[in-house]
Amino acid sequence: MPILALLLTGCGDYVLVPPGRAVGVAKAAMTVTPDRAWNRNGGLGPGKRAESWTRDGAMLNDLTFYGGIADGETLFREVDKREAPLPRFAAGMSAPEIAELLERSYRVATGTTLFALDALAPMPLAGQAGFVMRYRYTLPGDDVARRGEARGVVVGGRLYLLTYEAPAIHYFERDLAAFRAVADSARLNT
Amino acid sequence: MKALATALALAQAMPGDEAGLRMQMDEAERQLRTSPFVVADPALNAYVGGLVCRLAGPDCAAIRVHIVRTPYLNASMAPNGAMIVWSGLFLRTANEAELAAVLGHEIAHYRARHSLRAFRDHRRKADGWALLGLPVGLVAGNLGYSAVQVGLAASLSAYSREMEREADAASIALVRAGGYDPHAAAAIWSGVRAERLAAATARGRKPRGEGGLFASHPPSAEREATLTALAGGERGRDGADIYAAAMAPHWRWLIEDQLRLNDPGGTAWLLDRIEARGGPPDWIAYARGELARGAGRLEDAVSAYRRAAPLPEAERGLALTLPHMGDRAGAQAAIDRYLTARPDAPDAEMLRSMVTP
Repeated sequence: MPILALLLTGCGDYVLVPPGRAVGVAKAAMTVTPDRAWNRNGGLGPGKRAESWTRDGAMLNDLTFYGGIADGETLFREVDKREAPLPRFAAGMSAPEIAELLERSYRVATGTTLFALDALAPMPLAGQAGFVMRYRYTLPGDDVARRGEARGVVVGGRLYLLTYEAPAIHYFERDLAAFRAVADSARLNT
Repeated sequence: MKALATALALAQAMPGDEAGLRMQMDEAERQLRTSPFVVADPALNAYVGGLVCRLAGPDCAAIRVHIVRTPYLNASMAPNGAMIVWSGLFLRTANEAELAAVLGHEIAHYRARHSLRAFRDHRRKADGWALLGLPVGLVAGNLGYSAVQVGLAASLSAYSREMEREADAASIALVRAGGYDPHAAAAIWSGVRAERLAAATARGRKPRGEGGLFASHPPSAEREATLTALAGGERGRDGADIYAAAMAPHWRWLIEDQLRLNDPGGTAWLLDRIEARGGPPDWIAYARGELARGAGRLEDAVSAYRRAAPLPEAERGLALTLPHMGDRAGAQAAIDRYLTARPDAPDAEMLRSMVTP
């Protein structure tokens, strides 16, 4: 697996997540109930508070949970902390600032210059006033046009975020409903 | 990318097979042509390509320039004549003479068939023209993965220090023959060092020593001194006006790519330089506002954004800054101005909701 994919999705053994059953994710920071089967990456996620799922394999459809990113923390594990440190979450950030944080984290971690915000709008997550973010990007090297949808909320100064990403062709639309079912089922274990 | 991985494998297995290498390079270049990271702008390509041609003379027909949208300093030359220029270079060369010095260095590598010689020497370390502006982890992390970003064959074979010195000397000759100031080559290196110092200082660190991945290049201070000595007492034109005119339509995206790198010190240093060579005052003020907002210097951010008015992006900056200062009415007014100018902004719905009580 390319190193970049490893960074973004982690790499380890996959464990089946059966549909219809509540499951704790991202070190039990959240609980979700998927409506169809996913595969949980048993290895490392992209960050210490992150967990990755997929339906068909990494880079084909990736669902990532970021569970309770605290003030001063990064979304991902640092790639080059000294020369290219990642931007950090701050507890007082508004939704547009969190959208910027996600974009800049991708730019710094992957070296991409092709990342664009398509939409940012209010949307509740786990019954709290959150947001939905839609975006498109391309990673250097594979040059595949990808789309993403993220749902997030800040509760108690911590960021809870779910991202779904897949190639714009075929996969993104196909599995979007499966992601939304997971996001709509999310509960925070604060 | 597969092509580079294959080429690396090839270099190990068949060090003498130059025909195979050539085939791999051509395939990698073919893929590069269709990459979304390649900057297609005809005027910018004509400008850089034209400068390469004037410098390269009879070799012009053999060299093809590809501008890749990557916000770091690098240029590289593949043995098949593919020259890769990263967009971050344009923020870091102050004038046409400095750009000519970098391009001349690559032309010199090509003429001396340096990459083929290095290939024969089984060298497989990463390299490009400088790579100094590039985070090491990014190179190391992506090297086996992204031929487009790292730049084809240049990453296949490291030039020796001797080759670098040869190319430096030859580039001075090319720059001089073009009527440019031969001190331009040394000026790039002083800029590289100043930017690295600014970046590191803002992060509360000392700049990283040179070595490791960059060990094939002579240290920048030594290089600067040698290039200054080679340039001698003679001066030439710097082509600052022509350069500024060629870059004028591109400052915005070049600055935006740099802004989103989380490099406040290096970016502030670059903005000062871009301002000094006639960059767009409103975008520079906006970018300073963004840096100040990112650093939590809210008063500075507001005054920078106000200098950038009526740029709609600056109004957005105000809309995001003023709530942190308790000024909701000011934020509301800024959002109204922003959305009047950019009714289709992707974050319009979010911004509207932020001020609705």
